Amino acid sequence: MADIEQLSNPPGDASAPVTERERLNERAYRTAVVGFIIAIIGGLVAAWAYWTDRTTHGLGIGLALALGGIGVGLVSWAKYLDLPENIAQQRHVLRTTEEERADFDDEMKMTGETVGRRTLLVALFAGGFGSLVIGFVGPIGSLGPKPSGELRHTGWSAGKRLVTSEGLPISADTEPAIFDQLATIFPEGEIGRDDSQVVLLRMQPDALTDRTLDGGSLDGWVAYSKICTHAGCSVGLFGIDDRPPDVVRQLVCPCHQSVFDPTDGAKPIGGPAPRSLAQLPLAVDDEGFLVAQSDFDRPVGPITWTGA
Amino acid sequence: MARGAVERYVDAVTARVGGQSWLTSNLRKVFPTHFSFLWGELALYSFVVLILTGTYLTMFFEGSQETLIYTGSYEPLQGQEVSAAYDSVMRISWDIKGGLLIRQMHHWAALIFMGAVALHMARIFFTGAYRRPRDINWMIGLTLLILAIAAGFTGYSLPDDLLSGTGLRITYAIILSIPFIGERLAFLIFGGEWPGTDIIGRLYPIHILIIPLSIIMLLGVHLALVWHQKHTQFRGHGRTEGNVIGERVWPSFAMKSIGLMFLVAAVITAMGAIFEINAVWLYGPYDSGAATSLAQPDWYVGFLEGSLRLMPPWETRIGDFVINNIFYSGVLIPGIIFGLLYAVPILDRRLTKDTDDHHLLDRPRDAPNRTAIGAASITAVTILFIGGAQDIVARTFQLSVGHVTTILQISFLVLPPIAFVVTRLVCISLRDRPGPERTERRVPVERNESGGYAVPYDDPGVDWMLEGGAAPGHFDEITAPDAVRGPSGVAPGNVDDNMDDDDGADDDADADVDAGAPS
Repeated sequence: MADIEQLSNPPGDASAPVTERERLNERAYRTAVVGFIIAIIGGLVAAWAYWTDRTTHGLGIGLALALGGIGVGLVSWAKYLDLPENIAQQRHVLRTTEEERADFDDEMKMTGETVGRRTLLVALFAGGFGSLVIGFVGPIGSLGPKPSGELRHTGWSAGKRLVTSEGLPISADTEPAIFDQLATIFPEGEIGRDDSQVVLLRMQPDALTDRTLDGGSLDGWVAYSKICTHAGCSVGLFGIDDRPPDVVRQLVCPCHQSVFDPTDGAKPIGGPAPRSLAQLPLAVDDEGFLVAQSDFDRPVGPITWTGA
Repeated sequence: MARGAVERYVDAVTARVGGQSWLTSNLRKVFPTHFSFLWGELALYSFVVLILTGTYLTMFFEGSQETLIYTGSYEPLQGQEVSAAYDSVMRISWDIKGGLLIRQMHHWAALIFMGAVALHMARIFFTGAYRRPRDINWMIGLTLLILAIAAGFTGYSLPDDLLSGTGLRITYAIILSIPFIGERLAFLIFGGEWPGTDIIGRLYPIHILIIPLSIIMLLGVHLALVWHQKHTQFRGHGRTEGNVIGERVWPSFAMKSIGLMFLVAAVITAMGAIFEINAVWLYGPYDSGAATSLAQPDWYVGFLEGSLRLMPPWETRIGDFVINNIFYSGVLIPGIIFGLLYAVPILDRRLTKDTDDHHLLDRPRDAPNRTAIGAASITAVTILFIGGAQDIVARTFQLSVGHVTTILQISFLVLPPIAFVVTRLVCISLRDRPGPERTERRVPVERNESGGYAVPYDDPGVDWMLEGGAAPGHFDEITAPDAVRGPSGVAPGNVDDNMDDDDGADDDADADVDAGAPS
């Protein structure tokens, strides 16, 4: 071990009383003994706990004692041995020398000239490899279909009834009218379809703005896509602050705290969402149940590159 | 003396493949010690726990979204339609003896792993250990960090509960927002439109095979480089750019390090036993129409969550095309963070014009600009992290979420520069402060065999406190904090103090250097 060097020794150890060292060593020895004994007990505790169906707390604490006991034992054992902590060793030089570099360059130059003698072969090899890569594009494409308008259409179409997740249709004139309630609604026959989930609200008609009325509200009923325009979470929180002077109604996305105004076309009024929730135009069918006038007038959910 | 079993078996192998002297010299290899060098070991050992507990979990987990009726022993969910993945996680948690313990250990180990990785990286940064020749290993380590985050995210997504589904859905939206390729890419990854039935089955092999294998391979290179290039060390008595001062791998370092492995495993096991984590039975199976408030991702994704929440609602229109603001918060900001981290060694070289090899570490105060940049970065990431829980902050302090968001947005712009300036000033004043060690020059004395005292070496031109290249005017650290404890059982007169070659651990008094006791 020519690279191990011994440094001259400034004192330190000599200044410490021998009794102090012995005391510390004795303590480390005792700690190691206790640690290993705890480890033995811990393993047995774990086995007993498993046997008696205490398989989370009992088993875990038993195993933790066994592991921790071994850990404490090993570290204390090493401390007891009081091994030297200031041994010096030389570093090797990592940097390349000039000769090494020249030697390598020569080798590469020579072999490069040998291999590259026929440039046609080099070009064809590159071409063959490139072609191979192109050949594998197909199977990668099988991982998922090409988007073909799925992101632009939902399950809604003219005349489709609004139903709850239990499949019940909504009567347009409930008597007495219950305002400021939120329900999650799906198109009939497509309950649970993700892109078609809608929040249906009924608010006092005079609280709604013209934009909301034009967007297809009916007697205070308004329906918005439930999918946030920011990151696509379900806008599931409806809050009302009716402290004077105004009543403030808000739809909130729980994921990133985007806030929408349900009385004004679900316009974003806080948080990171850049756009309004799409509004579903509503109508009433012959039996008095709420139906959709058409699909949403724009894509629902998070805005994509082509989502202008 | 008869040779032991280990000697005979090792010899049997090395006699065939060679390398026994290499083995011997590596057992005698020297590793410097400092508490901050433990973070990397902590990460390594929590990764060992992850691999072991994860392997156990694969014996039971089903990576499938096929629906079935839950019939396990958790009553509130009986009869409900759930995916096979969720069902198997419920089975692990409720019906397999010890399954819940192993599952919770796995999750806690992941959180501790990420914490250890972050601390390790901070240590490397603030001491300048990323500089040449370890710049390669800095980039490997950073790749390991990204792989670790990917492992955490895929694992978080597998149980197919409400939280994992929500996380996947946000990921889907982020991928959709990527210009040009986003929609196609999202469909390729998710097997079509969200919510599909393929994603769990795809994430499963990525989580249990591809990512762990990549981590193991890169970790092998990472550690091999640490071994080969030798560890860095702090400045101190006798420590130079050309040597390493520390303890031998065997037995000193190995015993302590393996002991640490058991201690890490013990802490994780105790946490898995005592603290409930990711109680998927409370969240329920994923239902795309549901979302819960006050839901949080695992802590190491918190900065990304905050980035998503704090980004103002900007969208960019380019002709017929749009860039949604989650592209900025979900792709651009993490891209900038990791891009800058990769560039750290390069930027350091450019800015300091220092292209030398460095094996001695800087104390943070000795490099005020670097430390200030680090503090500013940590400030920025911390604000993002707090932003990830801004609703909880608002609730706790009875403020409106909007106000908290605005405060955090302003803080994100204002606080990092303030942190930079303050840290820089603190570093400079600490660095230039004349330390007590500096005010008196210490002269080592040694007791000789005849009982008298002598000065073993004394070169007035060399202050041994500053050997190792500390900048003039800056006091230096004492090498060994426990210098009071020398080698036991050795009379002071036996201590060898010459510069002879040392042939190994034949006598334990050899080569032991203690910096003078400061007391």
